[in-house]
Amino acid sequence: MTRYDCLKGIASEVGQSLVITIGGGGSTEWGAVRPGEGNMRVRTLGLVQSIALGLALSLPKRQILAVDGDGALLMNLCALPTLAREKPDNLIYMVFDNGMYEASGLIKTATGVCADLIQIARGAGIKEAMWAPSLEDFRDKVVTSMEKRKFAFIGARVESGPEYIKQFKKLPRFDVSEVESVYRMMRYIEKTEGISVVPPPGPRN
Amino acid sequence: MAPEDGPKIILESMKEAGINFVTSLPDFNLAKLIELVDGDPEIKHVALCREEEGIGLCTGAYMGGKTTAIIMQNGGFLNSCNGLTTTALNFNIPMLLMIYYAGDIGDEGFSTLGSVTEPVLSGLGIRYYVLRKMDEIKNTIKGATLLATDSRRPVAVLLTKNVLGTRR
Repeated sequence: MTRYDCLKGIASEVGQSLVITIGGGGSTEWGAVRPGEGNMRVRTLGLVQSIALGLALSLPKRQILAVDGDGALLMNLCALPTLAREKPDNLIYMVFDNGMYEASGLIKTATGVCADLIQIARGAGIKEAMWAPSLEDFRDKVVTSMEKRKFAFIGARVESGPEYIKQFKKLPRFDVSEVESVYRMMRYIEKTEGISVVPPPGPRN
Repeated sequence: MAPEDGPKIILESMKEAGINFVTSLPDFNLAKLIELVDGDPEIKHVALCREEEGIGLCTGAYMGGKTTAIIMQNGGFLNSCNGLTTTALNFNIPMLLMIYYAGDIGDEGFSTLGSVTEPVLSGLGIRYYVLRKMDEIKNTIKGATLLATDSRRPVAVLLTKNVLGTRR
């Protein structure tokens, strides 16, 4: 099972969902399978789940998806109990666990040796946390929680390595700069939610 | 105005500034303020386990139309430096940083932390205002929030015991 196949499997199902992805292969792949205004690429390892939670809490009617990696999640495990306390029903958090720092030289992460992210999440209070053992199951978990509007925390153990990286490097690059992706998403939210996020500059008359 | 009224006036000022989404992690001196924030029905309050999460939460909430603040100690501000740099500053995200100034003049036990706080804020290019007088609470918090929104950057208010009404 690969991350790219998992993402391809859900791309046509997510509609106008806002999708927060960690920089690296995941954002490139997601940008390739569902390009457009509803995508934000995050630079800070460990903040995908926090940014997605902030969005989900402030836009409770909007579906929010988070695409994260094992290295990034391991850097901010403190966010798991926070997520457990809030658990907004419009948030689906997906972590692709390849057991390595894929964008940083393929060195093993702790999950490549001993740590189990879903057990950690459950221990933090996220009872919904589950591994998706197959592509079909992954797609099914995402689609079901979107349909039922239920919080989901889905882990997928995926393959990676030098050959895999060569494949996703052939994909088109994420289409705009990170800063532009944030502004583009905020304007998209303004347009689709009918709210003001970034008002015109002052002074106010 | 007695310093004991500080937390209530700080909360009123935050609400007048339009703040409606707050993340926090306690210091002893912030406990009263955080209790008041948590009990206010007009504010969504998220309790953190580590302060850097709050930078992410405030970023997402801002993108969803909220006006945001994080309440933390200056040790927590140091915990947040990467998130502040590579998310808040990198993406032009405003947020009010309400930082308890441990190691400030008259405090005990945190002098190292106190001594690096203002230089680190300056190093990150984050503008900050030290709040020592009760009659400056309202203008400072409202002004700092407006400055954050207008500059699209985090702005810090350093809270001292003089305005939090705590003694140890």
